[in-house]
Amino acid sequence: MISTTMTGCERVNRMFARQDQDRIPRCDTFWPETITRWQREGLLWDHEDALLFLQSDFQPLCWSWPAPFPQQKDLITQDAETETYRDAWGGVVRYWKGRSGTPEHVGFGCDSRAVWDKIYRPALLAAPLQVNPKLSALRYQKGRELGRWTHLSGVEGFEALRKQIGDEAFLVAMIEDPDWVHDIVKVHTDVVLRTFDAVLAEGIKPDGLWIYGDMAYNHATICSPAMYREFVWPHHKRMADWAHARDMRVIYHTDGRVSGVLDLYIAAGFDCLQPIEAKAGMDIREFAPTHGDRLAMFGNIDVMKMATNDLALLEEEIRTKFAAGMATRGYAYHSDHSVPPQVSWDTYRAIIGFIDRYGNY
Amino acid sequence: MPQLSELTAAVAAGKRTDTVRLTQELLAAGSAPQDIVEKGLVPGMAIVGEQFKKNEIFVPEMLVAARAMKEALKLLEPLLASAGIKPKYTAIIGTVQGDLHDIGKNLISMMWRGANFAVIDLGTNVSADKYLAAAKEHNANLVGLSALLTTTMPAMKDTVRVLKAAGLSTKIMVGGAPITQAFADEIGADGYAADAGTAVDIAKKLVGQAA
Repeated sequence: MISTTMTGCERVNRMFARQDQDRIPRCDTFWPETITRWQREGLLWDHEDALLFLQSDFQPLCWSWPAPFPQQKDLITQDAETETYRDAWGGVVRYWKGRSGTPEHVGFGCDSRAVWDKIYRPALLAAPLQVNPKLSALRYQKGRELGRWTHLSGVEGFEALRKQIGDEAFLVAMIEDPDWVHDIVKVHTDVVLRTFDAVLAEGIKPDGLWIYGDMAYNHATICSPAMYREFVWPHHKRMADWAHARDMRVIYHTDGRVSGVLDLYIAAGFDCLQPIEAKAGMDIREFAPTHGDRLAMFGNIDVMKMATNDLALLEEEIRTKFAAGMATRGYAYHSDHSVPPQVSWDTYRAIIGFIDRYGNY
Repeated sequence: MPQLSELTAAVAAGKRTDTVRLTQELLAAGSAPQDIVEKGLVPGMAIVGEQFKKNEIFVPEMLVAARAMKEALKLLEPLLASAGIKPKYTAIIGTVQGDLHDIGKNLISMMWRGANFAVIDLGTNVSADKYLAAAKEHNANLVGLSALLTTTMPAMKDTVRVLKAAGLSTKIMVGGAPITQAFADEIGADGYAADAGTAVDIAKKLVGQAA
């Protein structure tokens, strides 16, 4: 463990200001199965322990992904391995029993503009607040005591569209029923910002807003940059403007290859991109020199390489990417996705050692 | 009488209404259903695949094109079936055991149909035995395995092993977010596709049809 002279909050704020830090900020996410493995291999308790070992600098306060029917989770069918539910968004979704993984989207209750207008839109607007502001305030106090960078978290319009009406329907609607897409993104964003306003009404002043939306895959963005600019970007900008007006910085999370829209992210007001998925061809050694002065880079350490447990390979990955990111003073450590269960606890501890070695200014 | 090239352009542009109308007009004018498919619709989807590979179009445009072709095929398939005409190649596709992800698999399935493959979609969480049984039942030329998760890559390896051990002539193609050409080579797959456009080219090569 290296000695530090700054709080996490100071460190992250200085990263955004491109000022020197004692070390780079750190955060990570882990699959539940990874934590289960690590518990067998010496991790004391849970993912919070893993974050403590890492010395994470971030303190989440809330998670806003508003649903039209927040209490709905009706079991439809199950077998030995899976359970199929009608979820809070009206979708029929098949999950694994007792383990994590991307679910199968079997169907969507909101399957037409008429159904959206009649049922889901009014339900989403009328749904009760789906975060607990008082709990957020307690987390904020904890974050301040620990010196962490505190942030609101919520889902943006692109991801909301996918959840509400499904990939195929919304992507086709972008061409065949654009007004519907505009409306869903707008209503969702309205509700998310209303939720954040309720959290701030507790009198807290978070440091940032962390927006989640997976709008790309390993080939490119799912829709064209022009469609992103038309449908989703105005609401990204609205969220960023909302945050900046409250002295918050904005981190945007997306998986996939987003190299074609980095300039749009900057124009929207995003201050930082996370987690920068290496297996989708994203490499900060390429993007930090061209965009790192305007867009902080958070992540990009390849989980596929982590999964090999090859320490020499990982050291090279961390050394070279840290060098590229730190050259801008706008870099923070995160895996490029979530740490998978192929990674041993010994390997992850070695990764923390490499972060200690190469992540100091 | 419209030209087949007009139909090709309509499919490539994802113009569903025009595609259906032109198909009806071509049929009324005496065009053979097989020609409409092979010389009108399939070239349209080939254009879509090429544009997609070059990032000139994206998933929405691909979807509307595939939907346009699907609507035209609703008119044509009964005629083709009554004449005993079937697609030349049959492909099995699914997401490997332990993985419920379906979006990538569905896109590949659409593009293969657009290339006039008969596609049997086994869905998600498909066991190696189920792939093998389907490959035998349908005398498949091609089996496509999809995986999203790093944790399900071993299931892909197992499935390839089972299919190869059965001694079938069926070719095996793999793909998905964590999959690479190196991994495909390592597990003995016959082909790897990085995206839905490339998946058509690779499929054609594997079954011996020029891409």
